Amino acid sequence: MNPILIKEMRTRIRGKLAFFVLTAYVFVLSTVILFYFLGTMGAPPSVFNQAGFWLTFVLMLVQMGLICLVAPTFSASAISSERRRETFDLLIASPARPSTIVVGKVGAALCYLLVILLGSMPVVALAYSLGGVALRDLAITYLLMLVACIAFCSISFLWSCLIRSSVMAIVTSLVTIFFLVFALPLLGLAFMGLSVNFGGGRPSQTVVNVVFLMLRINPFASISYLLVPGIPKPQGLWLSGIPFWVSQVIFYLMLTALSLFLSIKRLKRVRNWL
Amino acid sequence: MSENEQTKTSMIKLENVTKSYKNFRAVDNMTLDIGRGEVFGFIGPNGAGKTTTIKMLATLMLPDQGRMSIGGYDVIEQPHEVRQMIGYMPDSFGVYEDLLVWEYLDYFAALYKIGPTERKRAIGDVLELTDLGVKRDSQVMSLSRGMKQRLCLAKTLIHDPEVLLLDEPASGLDPHARIEIRELIRELCRMGKTVLVSSHILSELADFSTVIGIIEAGRLLAAGRMDDIMARFTSNVMLEITVKGDPQAALGVLAERTDITRTTFDGRTIRAEYSGPPDDVDELLEYLVRREVRLLGFTRTETDLEDIFLKVTRGVVA
Repeated sequence: MNPILIKEMRTRIRGKLAFFVLTAYVFVLSTVILFYFLGTMGAPPSVFNQAGFWLTFVLMLVQMGLICLVAPTFSASAISSERRRETFDLLIASPARPSTIVVGKVGAALCYLLVILLGSMPVVALAYSLGGVALRDLAITYLLMLVACIAFCSISFLWSCLIRSSVMAIVTSLVTIFFLVFALPLLGLAFMGLSVNFGGGRPSQTVVNVVFLMLRINPFASISYLLVPGIPKPQGLWLSGIPFWVSQVIFYLMLTALSLFLSIKRLKRVRNWL
Repeated sequence: MSENEQTKTSMIKLENVTKSYKNFRAVDNMTLDIGRGEVFGFIGPNGAGKTTTIKMLATLMLPDQGRMSIGGYDVIEQPHEVRQMIGYMPDSFGVYEDLLVWEYLDYFAALYKIGPTERKRAIGDVLELTDLGVKRDSQVMSLSRGMKQRLCLAKTLIHDPEVLLLDEPASGLDPHARIEIRELIRELCRMGKTVLVSSHILSELADFSTVIGIIEAGRLLAAGRMDDIMARFTSNVMLEITVKGDPQAALGVLAERTDITRTTFDGRTIRAEYSGPPDDVDELLEYLVRREVRLLGFTRTETDLEDIFLKVTRGVVA
């Protein structure tokens, strides 16, 4: 087994941050359930009947949002923290290959995120047991979250290789992920708005296609299209035969491969930047 | 000696190595050859280029020009092979505070691809060698500075490397811990390791180095076997003169003489280099008495590494 992965897991789990993040994560999800029940107390049965569906949906969106925040925190300081602790020279002077370092560091961050996802399961199970969501869709949603974790950890690790300061690496990773997840679809919608204004009340088909391509690579849109039935989609879209979640998984895996490739390349040239 | 024989005995080799940081030349055209089993004491003031040289040998930096090899492997072209051969201890290093001592060593042993069974034995061996056996299950953060230094040395030895690169291994330690580290390095010398050890504390190196190199401002000013260097630079007589009261008066008297080429003092003891005929030292003693210097001691001593260092270097720090 990868020694860096084992070491990282040992040090991570023993740290206060890991305990705090896991507790806070489960607490936030539990709070969502609590507020939902408090809010729907005394509501008509028709509202309560849909509690399972809405709760599961909201919990999944909240979880995806938390992943966007947590993944960079754990991965973006992987290399910079070694440099801050003055252990990086010892690691580089050992025969560990760049690929071993990447797998160990990204794998450890990922393992911790898996622990968090597993920790959320009892809370999600509570909502799921109320009914309204198919098990298959729930499983796919977890797959989407897992792939998002892998992609975000890989992107953050790349920044960790590129930026010396841990704080700057974390901030840059957060900005990158926020751009990818929130800014891109917002930009798309803004373009669509402009297209409506200048196109005599109807956006051009190309603009609609580009906007929906951007939505296809957005995890929140993918979860929404997967869990919420009946969200309208315009006719004649590019890749219309492929479900949103499939294109999102493929895009994020491509991003992962690119980030890891660049990280390995950067670590191979470590003697030029020490 | 044929080229083949030279390759066989030569363990660390630098040929015209140069390294600059922007406008500052840290290592300047250095050529060096250290044989198998030698203990090379790398002497120089802070900022002389010792750490840069060691970092380049440890495959952490690339030289701007020149060639380097360890055990026949090219440091620039074959870093992976070199890393298997060397044990590197940096001058300033961190440890993973959250790990236990055995976990820390287990981590590095695994990085060197030592199997689980062999790893247990290797950990036991290095803990015994560094006298950390009782701390096996302690957390690294609970160790004292000296113990952490020994732990780092234990990590350096975990894969039984043929070549050790030790950069100021005793820096920042109290006298007791310094002695412990010195004893450890002596033990490594007995084990037949090729060691390159740097320090600016000369008495430390004089104890166990077989070969020394004196570096200043990135340039290797002198290198060779300890005895040869001593013989090459010892032409004058060293005297230790202990005076009663203020040594400044005595220093003034000594400064008047042309056969006193250099003086240093520590408290009331003056160390003077006398370049006159060795048999006429008594004349100097008479002179001091005549000039009413109140003497408590007047001894002829051996030239030590510190004297050689002061003679070779010009006090230039890069």
